[in-house]
Amino acid sequence: MATLENDQDTILRASIDRSLRHPVMFFFTSGAAWLAVAILLGIISSAKVHNPGFLESCPWMTYGRVTAAHQTALIYGWGCQAAFGMAIWLMARLSRQTCRNAGTILTAGHVWNFALSLGVIAILAGGGTGMPWMEMPSFAWMPMLLAYVAIVIGSMVQFKVRPEGHTYISQWYLMAALIWFPWFFGSAHLLVHGFSGSPLGAAGVNAWFRSAMLLMLFAPVGIAMAYYLVPKVLGRPVYNYSLSLIGFWSLAIIAPWAGMQKLTGVPIPNFLPYLGAFAAILFAVPAAMAGINLLKTAVTDLEKVNESPTLRFTVWGLIFLLIFGLASVLLNLPSVTRITQFTISGYGYDVLGIYGFFSFIAFGAIYFIVPRITRREWLSRRLIKSHFFLSIYAVFGIALVAIFGGLMQGVGQETFTSAWEDAADRVVPYAVMTTTCWFFLLVSNFFFFVHLTLMWLRLGRRSSHPTLLVEPHHHDPHGPEGDIDNAGPAVH
Amino acid sequence: MSFRNFAIGLTISFGLAWFSVVLLPFFKLRDLTPVAFEEGVDAKTGIYFPKTTGRVVDGARVYAENGCYQCHTQVARPTYAGNDLKRDGFAGLKGDPDRGDTRRESNPFDYVGLDFAQIGLTRNGPDLINLGRRLNAAHGPDADEYLYRRLYDPRLDPAVATWSNCPSMKFLFEKKEIQGQRSEQALDVEVEEGFQIVPGPAARALVSYLLSLQHDDEVPSSMNYAPVIPGNEG
Repeated sequence: MATLENDQDTILRASIDRSLRHPVMFFFTSGAAWLAVAILLGIISSAKVHNPGFLESCPWMTYGRVTAAHQTALIYGWGCQAAFGMAIWLMARLSRQTCRNAGTILTAGHVWNFALSLGVIAILAGGGTGMPWMEMPSFAWMPMLLAYVAIVIGSMVQFKVRPEGHTYISQWYLMAALIWFPWFFGSAHLLVHGFSGSPLGAAGVNAWFRSAMLLMLFAPVGIAMAYYLVPKVLGRPVYNYSLSLIGFWSLAIIAPWAGMQKLTGVPIPNFLPYLGAFAAILFAVPAAMAGINLLKTAVTDLEKVNESPTLRFTVWGLIFLLIFGLASVLLNLPSVTRITQFTISGYGYDVLGIYGFFSFIAFGAIYFIVPRITRREWLSRRLIKSHFFLSIYAVFGIALVAIFGGLMQGVGQETFTSAWEDAADRVVPYAVMTTTCWFFLLVSNFFFFVHLTLMWLRLGRRSSHPTLLVEPHHHDPHGPEGDIDNAGPAVH
Repeated sequence: MSFRNFAIGLTISFGLAWFSVVLLPFFKLRDLTPVAFEEGVDAKTGIYFPKTTGRVVDGARVYAENGCYQCHTQVARPTYAGNDLKRDGFAGLKGDPDRGDTRRESNPFDYVGLDFAQIGLTRNGPDLINLGRRLNAAHGPDADEYLYRRLYDPRLDPAVATWSNCPSMKFLFEKKEIQGQRSEQALDVEVEEGFQIVPGPAARALVSYLLSLQHDDEVPSSMNYAPVIPGNEG
């Protein structure tokens, strides 16, 4: 009897995976392609900081436009699409429902990509709005919001009709992210595009929006995924379940207040930046709760963490989450803000959140999900290892160099007795380092993208043995060969 | 936790913050009440309500479209938030020939008439809230000429040639054949024989905007946080 139930369970999981194959693979591969675009633009933009003559004759490659396009591609091309892919897969799996609207999701995914492509081209062509992270012209946000609704509406229905009984913590995080995103994305764009005459109010909404993208989309989706992956791959329960619930509610209560600390000293009501700084500092609490809870779970079996591509990326993503929380505290203390407010520290902080914490967990998730939905195993552990090591050094490099460099730059800016040249000179070495790191990330992402594309074309290994990073007892670089079917004996 | 409790908790926790830090301040900042100069206390009379012209708004759009805010801020922060008031030329002039010390922190009226207050992200370049004031003080009536050259290629200015990483905005200028006389607006830069470089419409709007950045005007004493102490001027 137990075996029968087990078999039925396997069949259900396999059919959920099959129903989501096309939409999820679409989001992951197009996300990875956008990541490549973002990195290329990032290299150009960073190179221009220390070499302003680079590509000078091309107006589309002006520093301001390229930087805006780089961030837009990174956030909406890679970040959001990776989040969509993870969210729809995870919600279907945890609610035990197959996806019944794959066609709608795919269409909506194309709409998202189309609007985004036009938006990025418009930014490069000189049609940007000038509002950080909201630079795409006003035609883009409405189709993107509608596409978003079409993508996730099925996940909400799945949650509603899930079987009675236990609700996973990941589901609460996901539901929260799915509800928050349209609320803050829609209202922020509506306010700044629909109601003119409030220049400072628009700047405030914009600052809040940037914080919300990090703390109320990328953070909950990343944490939700980690809460699934770590216990799942290890086969152990989460270290402390009630801590995970407290962590969730502290995020829900704290995160919406953060953001306006970016406008410290700007003539808006004084309580706004203070509240923002207070909330941004307190963000360390939910970050630490999720990070420590899961790392405590992970340390019970470090051998497995080391050999599983999924866990290696996810655990490092969680370590980045802790550093991200720590950076939130340090950078938002009033005494530090006055130094770092207008420096490259802010960029380092964003990269730490988007590329360190969120993307690492997304990579971990992709290494877990893709073999299940394509029913093929990853081709090469060497490609995964190259991806891992190049990414981790480069992201550490950018984040720490930019945050520390910003501190140095800020000291230069605040020293009003010496010339501005000093402050400007202080940035150069850090910018050189940042360019180098983006270049490493380009190489790293090249490996990842090629590998993912091969998997998308279903050219993965037909084996039931997952590709592990630590060589077992034989010497085949691609891992052991085995049964043709990787979904277990019950599925044919 | 039931879905009902979850939905209520989420709506309250998000909605409260959303209403009080986003919605309310946005609309509060939308209708600024003009501040009156007080008779007997202020040197001026009437109300304080600066205006912005159309050309300047066009220039602000050029500023936004080309991402100047990535490296330039536009705010003079109060002393608790930074040393902007002390940095030369950021918050005003220390020794204006007519008005003496004009330095002041930014106020909400400094951004009136624009779509978006370009507070900016970093100061890889200097703050610009008083760029117009600085340039007028340094170059007088030739300020626009200087600024065109500076936008065409920042490193033509010997004072910053060795270290400025500001991108050159050559695409805002047009190369034209000289027909008859050289244009009055032609830039004093190297160009092949028989041709001249003249600013395009976007460059002209941008320069109008940048030169309009003079936010050190006299404010009513009710909103002046650094009133001049009699007998302690200069």
